[in-house]
Amino acid sequence: MGKRGRLEIIRDILAIIRDNRLIKLTPLLRKANLSSRRFKEYFGEILAKRFIIETIDGKNEKFVSLTEKGSNFLEQYRAIISFIDEFEL
Amino acid sequence: MSLIIKGFMELGLGAEIIYSFVIIVSSLMIYFGTREIYELSSYKGIKYFRRAFLFFAIAYFFRSFIKFILLGFDSWEIYSVIPGRIFGAIAIFIFLYFSSMAIFYLLYGAMWRKWKGDKVKLVILNFLAIFIALASVLFVNRVVHLAINILLLLFVISIVYIAHKTKQDNSRHNNFYIIYLLLLIFCIFNVLDILIPRFFQGLQLFGYLVSSGIFLIILYRVIKKSGR
Repeated sequence: MGKRGRLEIIRDILAIIRDNRLIKLTPLLRKANLSSRRFKEYFGEILAKRFIIETIDGKNEKFVSLTEKGSNFLEQYRAIISFIDEFEL
Repeated sequence: MSLIIKGFMELGLGAEIIYSFVIIVSSLMIYFGTREIYELSSYKGIKYFRRAFLFFAIAYFFRSFIKFILLGFDSWEIYSVIPGRIFGAIAIFIFLYFSSMAIFYLLYGAMWRKWKGDKVKLVILNFLAIFIALASVLFVNRVVHLAINILLLLFVISIVYIAHKTKQDNSRHNNFYIIYLLLLIFCIFNVLDILIPRFFQGLQLFGYLVSSGIFLIILYRVIKKSGR
């Protein structure tokens, strides 16, 4: 399998969060199959873009869940990739 | 004789308005229609692609302005219009700068991965666009205008060829490079049409139709792909 591109990695992370609805950071890192440095980089990006939201429960544990914007990215992912390919960008 | 020229220009006014309208509206629709996919993806290739069409819209707006000055003063060449000389020079500078930047951004959008997003190249292309615009305003000479545009055309063809070859090697290509090439060639046609007004006499309507057709094809593909 070839190296994943930036958009593909973001799609994978968001898909994991969507499938789990609420997920802690450690299992997310494990499932994302990235080094912790790269995970931090992508996680920071999707958080800054408000694709995900962090919540803290009563036991002071941090969870992440998908926002509407994140769901929109997943819906539009195919269109974005198809656009990039179509216009050879 | 002046009546014939006037008649021809009046006949051309309708075509000029329709042509400018089609190009400016198509370019702006491409720019705004790709906003959502760019905001979601922050993909650099889409950013340069969008900016190219924003620059096309600005360039064609000033192109129309130049054409209307010519029409207003019943002249073929902007520099023979004495009262409009300063406005003409400024409009030509802006038109050429944005036309060149549109061409360069479209090329950069296709090449940014190979160039690894090197911003220095973008700065160089920016200076090249300023140089082209300044040289065209300062040297009012058909040979200079022709030479600059032939060099620009050769530059465009070589970059499109390299971009196409690279994509072919990566087996991730389609035939859209032909549309790009035509778009860039007709952009240079429009530049020459302003700088050397009678250079394409007789071919102007054909040029307008093909240019409009290319922009509409791109707009159609953008709408189809972006779902806007």
